[in-house]
This record gives sequence, structure tokens and C-alpha cells, in this order.
Amino acid sequence: MGFAIRTERLRKVYPSSHGDRAALDDLTLDIPDGRVYGVIGRNGAGKTTFVRITSTQLALTSGTATVLGHDVATEERAIRVRIACVPQEARPLYFLNVEEVVYLYLKLRGLDPAEARARTKDALEQLSLTEFRRRMVSHLSGGLRRRVLCAMVLASDAEILFLDEPTTGLDPIARREVWHAIRRAVRERRTILLTTHYLDEAEALSARLALFERGRLVLEGTPEELRARVRFPYRVTVQGPFPASELASYGRVSAIEGGSLVFAREAEARELARTALERGLRVSMGPVSLEDIFLDVVGKSIEDEGPGAEPTA
Amino acid sequence: MSERNRLRSLFTLVQINGLIPIRTQPLYLVNLIASPLSFLFFIWIVSRGADLAYGVVGGMVLTMLSVGTGLQSDLTHYRHDMKFQDVVVASPVEAPVYVGGMALSELVYSLPALAVFVVLFFYYGYATPSSAVVLLGALLLVWSFATAFAFTLATYFQDVRETWMFSPIFSLVLTVLPPVYYPITYLPGWAQIAARFSPTTYAAELVQGAVGLQPLSFGGATFDWIVLVAFTAALFVLAAFKARWKDP
Repeated sequence: MGFAIRTERLRKVYPSSHGDRAALDDLTLDIPDGRVYGVIGRNGAGKTTFVRITSTQLALTSGTATVLGHDVATEERAIRVRIACVPQEARPLYFLNVEEVVYLYLKLRGLDPAEARARTKDALEQLSLTEFRRRMVSHLSGGLRRRVLCAMVLASDAEILFLDEPTTGLDPIARREVWHAIRRAVRERRTILLTTHYLDEAEALSARLALFERGRLVLEGTPEELRARVRFPYRVTVQGPFPASELASYGRVSAIEGGSLVFAREAEARELARTALERGLRVSMGPVSLEDIFLDVVGKSIEDEGPGAEPTA
Repeated sequence: MSERNRLRSLFTLVQINGLIPIRTQPLYLVNLIASPLSFLFFIWIVSRGADLAYGVVGGMVLTMLSVGTGLQSDLTHYRHDMKFQDVVVASPVEAPVYVGGMALSELVYSLPALAVFVVLFFYYGYATPSSAVVLLGALLLVWSFATAFAFTLATYFQDVRETWMFSPIFSLVLTVLPPVYYPITYLPGWAQIAARFSPTTYAAELVQGAVGLQPLSFGGATFDWIVLVAFTAALFVLAAFKARWKDP
């Protein structure tokens, strides 16, 4: 297995009258091919900047980035013939109908009409858009428009798909249809770079994940590796009265409705669960979720910013 | 991308931005015919028909320039509001193909206006083989530099509202103030010198000369062609080096 995208000490600075701002800083990352690679982080963490640089839409300030072995700064053409992108705020052209959006995008990429038509039909079926194929984009809901954009790039012949928050605004069923289409693209040995705020989505789809915070890479690995690298890889919920001071000796405690949530190491988590059961309390225990990891890492980062600090937008 | 695929992309853009929107909203065609015909009507009334030929020539130049003003609005709208340019950048479609396709699609909107002027051109007996060639060449150059300039500007605009501010300025500087709708001799001396800074002056002068409205020597015509070609080439160079296909 090779790498679809590699960056080394990648840095992007946006000049501003209020002082230059680094949207990405010292980012070194290897993204393997043929899988979904998830990028998560707060708003303004640098996810979209990363997508835009690696999909050749935005120039980098320093460092290097290669896509399929080609330098993004000097070999854009070689990259562009092999990629497709759904930008974060993209909207399909409102005067086209659903079928035209997908079909004309494929023709624009140079596909011959017969192949474009076949791929369009297939993509619309995959994303349950066939019944809407003659409907004008201007008459679609926001979620359906997003699905149309997903269908557009998934129907393409690109080897790498850049999906910047592709399922924002979709209902749970539609999200799963997009997930299904993404999984199928992976079975076709395509690489997906996925940014998302839905951590369940990132966990469900991604073979590896990167957590960005204020332009820096703070965690990277498989979901299991990420769990192993946090201080407290287990979560225990205890329903009922349990002295707070005693709970704190097991790990980090958060109050929840009717009880407490404790993040702890495995031995302490087991000990706490046993103790709570002996006292007749309701207990559940399991590995931390991606959301827990996110809140743990990003929560600390927010605390480090100090009172009154704004997230980097 | 092969030449065949480039052509396919080009004509797909004509379909996307020209043929399909017109199918959806045919009033687009009326919109673009309104301005040049208004000028023509005005000139016909004021000159009691005497300067109608200038109105026909000027109308054609204005129609080709309107491709540029339409293009800068569409490109800016697609870039910022739809993120369509980002989708295209991250695809095999190259910048010249995108701009060429979009400029051709704008030409589709101008076809009815051009058709009216071409009919008048023939009807009033201005059409000769040589005048037709001069007309075609001059209009092609006007279309080309308007396209290159519109693309360059559109990549700097942050919002489509900025294009609304520029469009009337273009019309003023490139079609109303320069002697496009009237002979240059109507202008006072200082204004004739100022008009020489507008490339449309040379285009209009060439066509006015070719149809016999104004005397134009071989040397004068050669000079006009050189200036018009040089101006167009300069705007293409500007577009090639300064337009922001990839964001900085």
C-alpha cells in the first residue's frame, strides 16, 4: 500500500491587516491510499485549508505536499486529472436538474456521453436520487442538494475524492446512503479524504483519523490507536449516589443526568465498575468514543487559550 | 487532457452556462438585446436616421463587450456563491478551457442582438467581403480582450456586488465615451486624444473605415490593427500571470 497524500512541515499563513494568521502549521501527515481518511477538528482548525491545498485550489506558504506522488505546487495538472472535490460551501447550479448536475459534471471532466450517462444513472440510484432526477436543483431541500454534490463526485472516475463536510444537513437515513456510497468507492480502491463534524461518521468510515487543532496535528492514527493514546481510554457511567471525592480518585469526573461519567485507565475503570455494582448502583463501562477523545483533547486546548479567548475561526 | 476532451469540456460549459439557462429563462435573451437596441433607437431619433450606420457598428461592439461584463458577473457568482470554480479547479478542466467555455456561453446570449445588427448591416448595404472580414476580426478581438479582462478581474472580486459596480464603468469607458457610436471627429481635440486610450476606439474606427463611414488610410488601418492586437495580447498576458485560478 502506498500513500495518496503526503505533507511535510506544511504551513499556510493567511495575511491579514490584524496580523498574519497560520491556518496550518508544521503539518506532517501521510495518508494511505485506497481508504477513507478522516480529518476532524473544531471550526477553524484548518481542515478546509488542508483540503483546499491538497486538492490544488489553494497555494501553500511553506513545506511540501504531494498527491499521488506529484507536488501540489508545481504539478497541479498531473494531480487534477485524478481528483474530484466537493467543497464545503458548494451548491449545485440551481438552474440544472439533478441528472444534469451529475451528467454535465462528468462530461466537463471529459467522459464520453455514454459513459457519463451510465455513471450518472448508477450514482443517482446509489444515493436514492433517481426519483428526483428531473427536479430542478432550485426546488430541492438543502440536504438533497448536498446529496446531489456527493453523487456528482462519487460518479466521477477520480482516484482521490475530497469530501469537505459532505453530509452536513443530511438526515440520518440520507447520511447512511452517502456512507454506503463512500464505502463502495473504497471497495473500488479509491481514496477518500473526509472532513466532518460528525464524529460517529468519522469513526464509522475512517481507517485512520487526524485531529487538527488550531492548525496543528494533535492526534493521528486508527480509531483504536487514538483511544490507546488518550490518558483515560475507558469511560464508566455510574447512576446513583457515589461520593465525588471518591470518584475523583479513579480518573476525570464529569457530572451527567442522575450520576457521573468517569474517564479512567482500564484497571481503575474495572475497579470503579466493580465497586459501584457492589453498592447496588447502575453502571456501564466501555472504551471512550471518538467524541470523548475530541472533547478531551480540544477541551484542554480551549482551557490553554485562557479566559475570553476565541477559537481561531 | 486530450484535445477531444478539452473540446467536450468547452461545449459542456456552453451548455451549462448558455443553452440550459436560456431554456429555463428565455428572457435572458431580451435582456442582452435591450441595451444596444436602445442606443440604436436613440441615435436614429436624434440624428433623424443620418447616423444609423454608426449605431449599427457601435451596437455590435457593445454587444461583444457585454460578453465581458456578463462574464465577470457569472465567474464571480460561480466562484464565491456556488464554489463552482473550486469544483472545476480540482478537476481535469484547465483554466483556458473554463474561461473559453464560459466566454462562448456568454456569446450565446448575444446571438439575437448580433443577428439583428447583422441583418441591418446587410439591409443598409454595408456588407462587402472586405468589410465583413474587418468586422469579424475586430469583433473577435473585442470579444477576446473583454474575456481576458473579465476573467482576471473576476478572480479578484470578493462578491458579485462588486461586478455590478464595474459593469457600468466598463460601458462608459469602453463604449459611450470612445467614438464607438459616432465618428471621432464629433469629439473636441482633447477628447480625441483621450479616446485613443480605449481599445474600442480602434475597433470602431476599423469597422467605420471598412464600411466607408470614415476615411481610413492603409497606414491608419494597419496602426489600428496593431494597437488592437497588442492590447488584446497584453490582456491575455495579464490573465495568464495575474488571474487567480488557484487561490494565493
